[in-house]
Amino acid sequence: MPVQPILRYPHPVLKKVCHRVEQIDDSIIALIEDLIDTMQAGPGSVGVAASQIGVTLRVCVVDVSKNRHGKENNHGLLRMINPEITARSGIAVMREGCMSVPDYTGDVDRATEITVRFIEPDGSEREITASGFEAVALQHEMDHLDGILFLDRIASIKTGLFRRKNYS
Amino acid sequence: MESFGDNHSIHTTREGDSMPQQSEILHYAVSVVGKDRPGIVAGITGGLFRLGCNLADSSCTMLAGEFAMILIVSHHRPFSKSRLYDELKPICDGLGMSLAVRTLHTDEVARQEADGEICIISVYGADQPGIVYRVTNELAGRGINIMDLNTKLIGTPEEPVYIMMLEAALPDGETPEGIEKLLENLKKELNVEIGVRIVTPVSF
Repeated sequence: MPVQPILRYPHPVLKKVCHRVEQIDDSIIALIEDLIDTMQAGPGSVGVAASQIGVTLRVCVVDVSKNRHGKENNHGLLRMINPEITARSGIAVMREGCMSVPDYTGDVDRATEITVRFIEPDGSEREITASGFEAVALQHEMDHLDGILFLDRIASIKTGLFRRKNYS
Repeated sequence: MESFGDNHSIHTTREGDSMPQQSEILHYAVSVVGKDRPGIVAGITGGLFRLGCNLADSSCTMLAGEFAMILIVSHHRPFSKSRLYDELKPICDGLGMSLAVRTLHTDEVARQEADGEICIISVYGADQPGIVYRVTNELAGRGINIMDLNTKLIGTPEEPVYIMMLEAALPDGETPEGIEKLLENLKKELNVEIGVRIVTPVSF
């Protein structure tokens, strides 16, 4: 399936709360493939949420295994349908950027460890506990499913002055 | 070093217009400083709005009891510095603020990008003369560019504590550990705490 263009704010879909997936059919499987292709095509991208490619469904993919911050501690490629955070602990600041809000970065508080429950493409339920960079990536992508951008969570008005350049 | 909006400018006052070519756009550095009170930002930006100026980049903050505004303002040709000054001067006079306007050359407004890692260097300790100078002089000697710097004097009059936080772009080959080592002697000499940590943004 093709790589989809990443929507950029102010595209209105990015601020929509996405709908739960009620039934996993071919369109959902195709959506997940699109998300994976789009993530792998992005320079150093570690996750894409469905709303970023214009689909208001609670589906996202995350894979931090190729990123230098996440390669030591990850669950590989995660295909997530209706993901929910069931537990969170710790707090740490990370300076985040987003493909949907280019040229801007900001310091965001995130939980350092989260437990996430989600449905796999085969319909099975899975629960994982992620920490560190993977936990931050999951929170960032899952925020997209609620129409929340990192701009809504900037913890300090002190922001990055420079355009992101190093992606990996 | 500031990051200026060039063709990526944030257009706060003229949304949706087609963008003129870069060479057709004039940029000015405007600084306004004076005793803090409500209405300063609205007063100044109101003047800019009436002129049809864009606020390409800005940083405004309260320093002690003063409010300080630094604005990079753009306007497409034809426009003049005197027109900008003449609009803002009576506003500043009314607010009791000083005003300075400088025309920027095209090569000054090109967006600067950090090549290497971005790190925060924190320095704090008993107040004494020369903390900012001594630290930044070491960094300058290594070609390390400061992107942002804030200082604050806290503590009591008997025991004043100086805090400096700066963000710097590390050139190729420099590491946070290398910077800590570079500042190690200074840390002992001044008896201050110095920490270096990476804050390079991560992309999602």
